[in-house]
Amino acid sequence: MRTWKEFIKGLWEENAVFRQLMGMCPTLAVTNAAINGLAMGLATFFVLVCSSIIVSLIKKLIPDKVRIPCYIIIIATFVTIADLFLAAFFPDIQKVLGLFIPLIVVNCVILGRAEAFASKNTVGLAAMDALGMGLGFTWALTLLGIIREVLGMGTVFSIQVMGASFTPWIIFILPPGAFLTLGVLLGIINTFSKKKNTQASCH
Amino acid sequence: MNINGSARMVIVLAIVAILSGLVLALTFQWTKPRMDQVAEERLKSAILEVLSKATKYEEIGNDGTLFNGLDEDNNKVGIAFVAQGGGFQGTITMMIGMDVQSRQLTGMAVLSHLETPGLGARIEEDWFKGQFNAKSIDDPFIARQDVDAITGATISSNAVSNILKNTIPNVLEKYESGGGK
Repeated sequence: MRTWKEFIKGLWEENAVFRQLMGMCPTLAVTNAAINGLAMGLATFFVLVCSSIIVSLIKKLIPDKVRIPCYIIIIATFVTIADLFLAAFFPDIQKVLGLFIPLIVVNCVILGRAEAFASKNTVGLAAMDALGMGLGFTWALTLLGIIREVLGMGTVFSIQVMGASFTPWIIFILPPGAFLTLGVLLGIINTFSKKKNTQASCH
Repeated sequence: MNINGSARMVIVLAIVAILSGLVLALTFQWTKPRMDQVAEERLKSAILEVLSKATKYEEIGNDGTLFNGLDEDNNKVGIAFVAQGGGFQGTITMMIGMDVQSRQLTGMAVLSHLETPGLGARIEEDWFKGQFNAKSIDDPFIARQDVDAITGATISSNAVSNILKNTIPNVLEKYESGGGK
């Protein structure tokens, strides 16, 4: 079934973080704790799904030459909604993610899906694609956050999991830890994955 | 109706932008009361944290940085003020409680900072904040002398000390000249 295929591909086969290496900026920057990775993933998920649906709905009305500005306005609108919503109802998370929420606008996963998929497919398929890609992005960020939090703080979602004798490796919650964790994870995934198709990557 | 290319582009972009503005305005209206409430709660809990005897507060002046702490019988129990300055990576903003009569601090709470997680961010931990309780404002405020510094975060510890040292005289002056009476 096509719909199902469009959904499932984002979870693993074409996972934005581990397979396409897209959206590296939030991936590396905010995953210093599991909750931050999860929150960033969900915020991106929301923006991705909403903007994909809208782009797919109005794709015929938008002249080709101004499609990118239109997509960016649509994406920026949903990002601002997400930012305001978090500020009002989850102020602590918004405080931590701070600057990175507005930066979802330039997350290339979102514009990438709008341009490569939503603008060429029906609303239903665009929604399934965005759901899959968004969930794939969310679990990838959460996994990175969990690994970095365990090694860097000895906790997962702020719950102590390492014994008292464990010395946290602070470097894992600092920027270099993001590169180390992502690099090792990519290596492991490439080793175990039979298909080694290298997709085009942006930042 | 046959609209030529450029006109259509302008119209479509304008419509998209207007709709976006409308949606954002509505969202903002919806979340604004809640955001104000969050900001007020944060301020209140910080003031009451640094002035343990206070149960409510009133603002002195109108720039939102200086407050009188009041107990249940409306007696003044001290002042709370916002202290701000440069840290290791960004601005550190703190709420400080002070007893003007005894010239002692009564507490410190960090409102916002951008210090390194696990190192400088430990200025938020109780053992660090606690040392400013009952600290005389005539102390020199030098990290590693009269202020315990955080291991691996000397700059953040220095920054907090310096911000306090620089802010206190200004606040006292403002309090005595301003609405402190």
